[in-house]
Amino acid sequence: MKNAIIKTDKLCKSFRIGTQEQQVLKNLDIEIYENDFTIIMGSSGAGKSTLLYALSGMDQPTSGKIRFFDTEIENLSNDRLAVFRRQHCGFVFQQMFLLDNMSILDNILAAGLLTGGDRKAIVAYAKELLTKVGLTETIWKKFPAQLSGGENQRAAIVRALINRPKAVFADEPTGALNSAAGRSVLDVLTEVHNSGQSIVMVTHDLVSARRGNRILYIKDGVISGECDLGPYVSGDKRRHEKLFSFLSEMGW
Amino acid sequence: MLKLWMQARAKIRRSKSVTVILVVMFLIAALLLNVGLLVAVNYGSFFGQLKKELSPSDVYYAVPDAIYTDEMPSYLNANEHVEKVQAHEVLWLGADIASQGKDKSFNVLFQNMDEERKMSRWKYVGEHLPAQEMSVYIPDIFKAVSGYDLNDTISLTYTDEISGEKKTLAFTVKGYTEDIFFSSTDTGMMSFYLPEETYRQVSEILDHPLYRLHVLFTDLDEVKNASAVEGGLRELLNLNTASLISGDSAAMLVAIDIELIQLSRCMMATMVAAMMVLFALIVVAVCLLVVRYRIVNSIEDDMTKIGSLKAIGYTGGQIRLSLLLQYLLIAGVGSAAGIALSYPLLPAIAAVFEQQSGLKWEQGFDPLLSPLALLIILLIVVLAVLLATRRIGRLSPIRALRGETTVRKFRHNRLPLEGASGPLPATLAFKSVLQNVRQNIMVAAILLGVTFAGSFGVIMFYNTSVDTKAFAEVPGMEITNVIATLNTGKDQTDTAAAIGSMEAVRKTLYLDEVKLKVEGTEVSAYVMEDYTEKETRLVYEGRYPEKQNEIVLAGILSERLQKTVGDSVSVQFGDREETFLVTGLSNGSSMGGLNTCVLAGDYRRLNPDFQPQALYIYLEEGADSAVFIDTLKSRFDKEQIPSYTDFDKVMAEGMASYQNIVAAMGVVMLVITLVVVLLVLYFMISSSVIRQKRELGIQKAVGYTTFQLMNQLSLTYTVPVALGAAIGCVLGAYGTNPLMSVAMRGAGIMKANFIVDPLWIALFGIGTLLLAYLLSLLTTWRIRKISAYSLVTE
Repeated sequence: MKNAIIKTDKLCKSFRIGTQEQQVLKNLDIEIYENDFTIIMGSSGAGKSTLLYALSGMDQPTSGKIRFFDTEIENLSNDRLAVFRRQHCGFVFQQMFLLDNMSILDNILAAGLLTGGDRKAIVAYAKELLTKVGLTETIWKKFPAQLSGGENQRAAIVRALINRPKAVFADEPTGALNSAAGRSVLDVLTEVHNSGQSIVMVTHDLVSARRGNRILYIKDGVISGECDLGPYVSGDKRRHEKLFSFLSEMGW
Repeated sequence: MLKLWMQARAKIRRSKSVTVILVVMFLIAALLLNVGLLVAVNYGSFFGQLKKELSPSDVYYAVPDAIYTDEMPSYLNANEHVEKVQAHEVLWLGADIASQGKDKSFNVLFQNMDEERKMSRWKYVGEHLPAQEMSVYIPDIFKAVSGYDLNDTISLTYTDEISGEKKTLAFTVKGYTEDIFFSSTDTGMMSFYLPEETYRQVSEILDHPLYRLHVLFTDLDEVKNASAVEGGLRELLNLNTASLISGDSAAMLVAIDIELIQLSRCMMATMVAAMMVLFALIVVAVCLLVVRYRIVNSIEDDMTKIGSLKAIGYTGGQIRLSLLLQYLLIAGVGSAAGIALSYPLLPAIAAVFEQQSGLKWEQGFDPLLSPLALLIILLIVVLAVLLATRRIGRLSPIRALRGETTVRKFRHNRLPLEGASGPLPATLAFKSVLQNVRQNIMVAAILLGVTFAGSFGVIMFYNTSVDTKAFAEVPGMEITNVIATLNTGKDQTDTAAAIGSMEAVRKTLYLDEVKLKVEGTEVSAYVMEDYTEKETRLVYEGRYPEKQNEIVLAGILSERLQKTVGDSVSVQFGDREETFLVTGLSNGSSMGGLNTCVLAGDYRRLNPDFQPQALYIYLEEGADSAVFIDTLKSRFDKEQIPSYTDFDKVMAEGMASYQNIVAAMGVVMLVITLVVVLLVLYFMISSSVIRQKRELGIQKAVGYTTFQLMNQLSLTYTVPVALGAAIGCVLGAYGTNPLMSVAMRGAGIMKANFIVDPLWIALFGIGTLLLAYLLSLLTTWRIRKISAYSLVTE
């Protein structure tokens, strides 16, 4: 029996464009499970990122409920959501969004020190994570502009993990990278997941999606299908075929 | 050109709030500059026009009838320096007149308005009515300050010189006058012009030689010879032993020259104008720093647009011209509005000056100075824009289009978080401070300039409204409570001893003012037995005389004689001459700064007839000088003490108009300082919020609250604000007195000694800092609208 860390109830999100209201998420009832690597897929404009940011407390839904562990987050104020995010969520963005004026280590500590706690322990943990993702000490003091995209994204993953979040939310983390860099980032995410971290990732890339164990397909604002891929094993062709077949069925 | 003009207009429309702030700042700068220039240049020339119109004599000598002889006009007519003399008989009355709810003392000269005058004429100011019985035409200052309207009754209360009774003379005000010599309280006497019949009636009421004066209007070859001629008159009248300060009025010769009048009536306006121009230049400099900041930022923000324009064929010069047009338009509109607004303000400023000078200055549009003020500002803007846009010329369109030129290259990781301690927002703020050194230097420089001006305003306000001691020392007089002029031939020693032992008296000392010659120049001299007793210490270099043949020279005199501490000077009285050692230099405007201090023993050797007369009486704290004088009058007869001076009252009345002007100026400078601080910070912080939208969004995404970010950004500005304000306050504290020394040099204040209360300055600095921080918090409140989500969706 899987433990649901996030559960939505009739989740709706709409945007007003001029005088017209566009409903992006329509009465979604979904669950995200602990220790899962959940992939959200769908065509452009289907509502993938909107769902990701609603689930993570980055954006507020128009209606419906979102329970994140024991907290109902849909009505939290912006500042309480900020505190909630720093305590429970980690984010990895396609554009990395590292702070240009800070070194890599400072980027991570700017998030890590936010929760308080023992400064030395946080610094040590940041360094441990950086080493784990393959960023050596010479890189820690460098600025984002001095690093490659892949290195920056790995640093962004460390920033997402520094507060030991209940879930990491990744939005197209390989979208701005070349294939080699993208692969290395996916390897890091897989390793992180294997260590017990729950991850929710939006992607439209098959190679990235293959890393997840659970695929949710969103179409016109509703979950139109779900596929259980099981634990990731490198080079497993059947996994790819299963995913491809599911996506074909979904009309991808 | 039209396209460039359209581009400039489009940019202005796009950044409305920034444009409004810049327009307001240019408005303030131009307003101050225009007012400063108009007052500095035109106030003095207005007095010059009045001089041309009214042909005042170079000097007038007022001689009480008690000592007047027909030899005097003969002497003057025969004097080599005298070109023309016109004598007038007038009535003099020391009276109290109600003004602003209080009785103020005035020396009133009643003059026959129907008497023909070729020299030192007078004129009506504003509306006047035909004369009726007991009509009077009074100096315009009585309207401006005391509020006497046409047909109001003006009552003069005086003590009858013969009976000692209080009496009142009442007149109906029928008009207002301007008379170069007798229209301002600072010039000693106020002229009341009476129709012939009324003059005759008043003359009958004041039928005693004590009320009668001869005023000798005298034109000279050079105004500077006025004191030499005065010396001759004194010798003729054998007046050299008479005290100049508070001697028997019946034996007092008054000599006032036109330069002294001009100095006295225009000095305050000139000084205020100089400060206004200086302050305006500080505000203009602040505006230009802001403009430069704005241009540099807008170049970075619009880099891809600039790249596009270059790519389609615009030259660097054309793009720079478009920016120049944009800022010239902003500066032009703001400055023109400031200049236009300054004209409706001028009557209010003129009214403030009028309280002191009595000059009804009316200034229409000045076709030379106002365009000059506009031109000065626009030229500086052109220079600032051209310097700030230099890089556009060198910009490669491809690099600009790629945005390469806007990527900031961070090289040094200042204040690494790993080793930093303290609250995270504060650490990040300090990090940002260290990373934006150039911008922060600019903020600090702006704050430095405005807090310097502001602390100057605080000091002026403090010295005129809180502790006025230093301000009271400006005229260079010994500050006491009462001066009693004792009769040297009537129990003087006993009288002085009796006064000294009275209950309310703290101490007494003799301090007389006499005339002598130093290096051949006629000067006034303060004479005292022991200068250590003096409470108002005016020597700014060296010391007061202690030993035989030592002398202190006033700063202006020392410059004129080119003598300083350690030099020797010849001191002459009559036929006797001795050499004195200059031991000190002092502030003081007595006799236009031509004054000295000598020991009574030394003066007695030069003038064996000298006997001290002016007894300075220092009362216990809280004692009322007027009540004390009444007590003296009841205890001593007029033979023993012929005259009194209520020094407290004289000082309060004499300084009031100066205090009002300087206090008002201080407050205005404070207010403008705070407005400029608010505008600049609002401008810079709101620009920062827009420019740092991405960073703030990232921080929000990782869990920073709005308040944390507000604090972080506010603290970023607090550091340069604190630094600039601290340096500005320190410079203001140390610079005000040197600055005032320059401004008040003409008034004999060579080394101003205004009280600088560190607490007030510190409070001002802290207040500015708190205000800046609060404004930062308010301005950064807009961060709440920046959402982490918008960051990823934009």
